[in-house]
Amino acid sequence: MAVIELKNVQKVYGTGAAEVQALKQIDFKANEGKVVLIMGPSGAGKSTFLTIAGSLQKPTSGQVYINGEDIANISAKQSNALRLNQIGFVLQAYNLIPFLTVKEQFELVDHVKKQGNLDQAIMDKLLEQLGIAGLINKYPSELSGGQQQRAAIARALYANPKILLADEPTASLDSKNVDEVGQLFKNLAQNYQKAVILVTHDPRLEKYADHIYEMMDGEMIKKQ
Amino acid sequence: MFLAIKEIKREKLRYGLIILMIFLISYLIFILSSLAVGLASENTQAIESWDAKQVVLNKNANVSMSQSLLTKDDLSKTKLTKNEALLGQTPVVAKNSNRPQVSAQFIGVKKDQFIYDDQELIAGRKAKKDREVVVDQAFQTKGYKLGDKLELNGSANKYRIVGFVKNAKINIAPIIYGSLASWRKLRQGMPNIKASAIISRNANYSYNHANSKTYPIAQFIKKLPGYTAQNMTFQLMIGFLFVISLIIIAVFLYILTMQKMHNFAVMRAQGIPSRTLVAATVSQSVILVVVGVIIGLAAMWLTAKVLPAAVPMSFTPQIILSGTCGMLLTGIIGSLIPVRSILKVDPAKAIGE
Ligand SMILES: Nc1ncnc2c1ncn2[C@@H]1O[C@H](COP(=O)(O)OP(=O)(O)OP(=O)(O)O)[C@@H](O)[C@H]1O
Ligand SMILES: [Mg+2]
Repeated sequence: MAVIELKNVQKVYGTGAAEVQALKQIDFKANEGKVVLIMGPSGAGKSTFLTIAGSLQKPTSGQVYINGEDIANISAKQSNALRLNQIGFVLQAYNLIPFLTVKEQFELVDHVKKQGNLDQAIMDKLLEQLGIAGLINKYPSELSGGQQQRAAIARALYANPKILLADEPTASLDSKNVDEVGQLFKNLAQNYQKAVILVTHDPRLEKYADHIYEMMDGEMIKKQ
Repeated sequence: MFLAIKEIKREKLRYGLIILMIFLISYLIFILSSLAVGLASENTQAIESWDAKQVVLNKNANVSMSQSLLTKDDLSKTKLTKNEALLGQTPVVAKNSNRPQVSAQFIGVKKDQFIYDDQELIAGRKAKKDREVVVDQAFQTKGYKLGDKLELNGSANKYRIVGFVKNAKINIAPIIYGSLASWRKLRQGMPNIKASAIISRNANYSYNHANSKTYPIAQFIKKLPGYTAQNMTFQLMIGFLFVISLIIIAVFLYILTMQKMHNFAVMRAQGIPSRTLVAATVSQSVILVVVGVIIGLAAMWLTAKVLPAAVPMSFTPQIILSGTCGMLLTGIIGSLIPVRSILKVDPAKAIGE
């Protein structure tokens, strides 16, 4: 069974002259244990796709299933809980809370989700892998763009979600870091059975992907 | 709480300024309230120290004791128990060549009645003869000493201070307690007058013969010259201060909240419930108000300590309690205004910006 499945999904922003068809007839599946790459030019609808797959907003029409459950009509509270427990987001930019240190970003999750978060040992190992173990008492403004991005990845993984959705996770990383993060995503999928969906322009990530989709003007084509 | 405290810690300057403002407002509220209570009490101190419940005055005196004169005829039917006392009041200017002049109220009382009996002396003794007086402690702060002689309204007679009393002010003027006979002399040229008023500690006391009329003490206090106007002025100022602080707190929290919308969106995208975000905002404003008010209380306590006794300020527990509760309430109401916006945050806004 697919962890995430979109059937016939459309998203229209605005009305009348301002109408934008951001997504047209999207059919998509992602399974656990796999890394899926979604590529495409700016404005293609990649972020829109991610917000709908991650229950941040609802499609104009069509169905979205997470773990086989239709989430089209769930309440704001239920979708909140879904995001907290099942989905980890790595957002395109500014995705850390500016007044919390890296460590406190994790603590915030502890305050609202008491169980099932990564334990200290796994977390330490993860931070080590991401190369930010020494930075946990720093505020986001004290980190470089790449360090912020890696901290955001750690935060998204902290609640131990089944699904990891990332928007441009390597935008401010150099080649060495891209390889490390790519390897980490692959490792998460293969060894921790996560479904990893990455939206990116970055061809350097292609070699870590099990599937690659190309988006263009709201349509999605499977390439690999 | 977690978010609220972390954010204040990180943004010390921003929140420090808000605390500074809350401190200044609450300090002002405490000062004005203390002044209002202090002044009100200088109007009524003496009346409260007598424990007066009813007062009999000349019905043509517009409920003013210093305007009232009761004659032998007016008082011909009185039966005075130990709860009633005759009293004569007249404004005087007290002079002594070595001391500053004092505008005061002369109050003549009878030695065998309760107003005389209940005088609370802080120094000296009670007046025993017609030429002896006990005076309010305000005279002491102006440099008067026991044994000083007072010339009242330029009369030839001199009155010797034999004691100082506590809480003896009426209508903001210090009282000079003397005998009823001396009062009659000060109101020279008025034949047959016996007193200005009968004061009773009995709430049911009533006497309405000839020109006499009985008034409940509340009505009497309300008619003290300037008393009601003064209280209303203060109440208006304090009320406005609360409204202003409500607006300031609300506007500031609103602006802060609007600036934080992106953070809220990110947290909502992470699955942090909006309840947590609302709780953070409300508890944050409670923390700010509590800290501001505590500093205000400390400043007020210091002010009350260093201010000269001549300033009529009375910083009572009631003021502390109602001022603190009032500010807290304002803070909570102010913080509830942006709640609607927080609940409406679109988590999708967090992505791709
Ligand atoms: N909230 C919105 N309201 C109206 N139109 C929107 C909104 N969000 C996105 N769009 C439009 O939908 C289309 C797809 O936008 P989307 O953000 O999904 O693109 P993207 O592929 O993520 O682009 P980028 O690579 O620049 O991040 C664009 O034409 C965009 O202008
Ligand atoms: Mg985008």
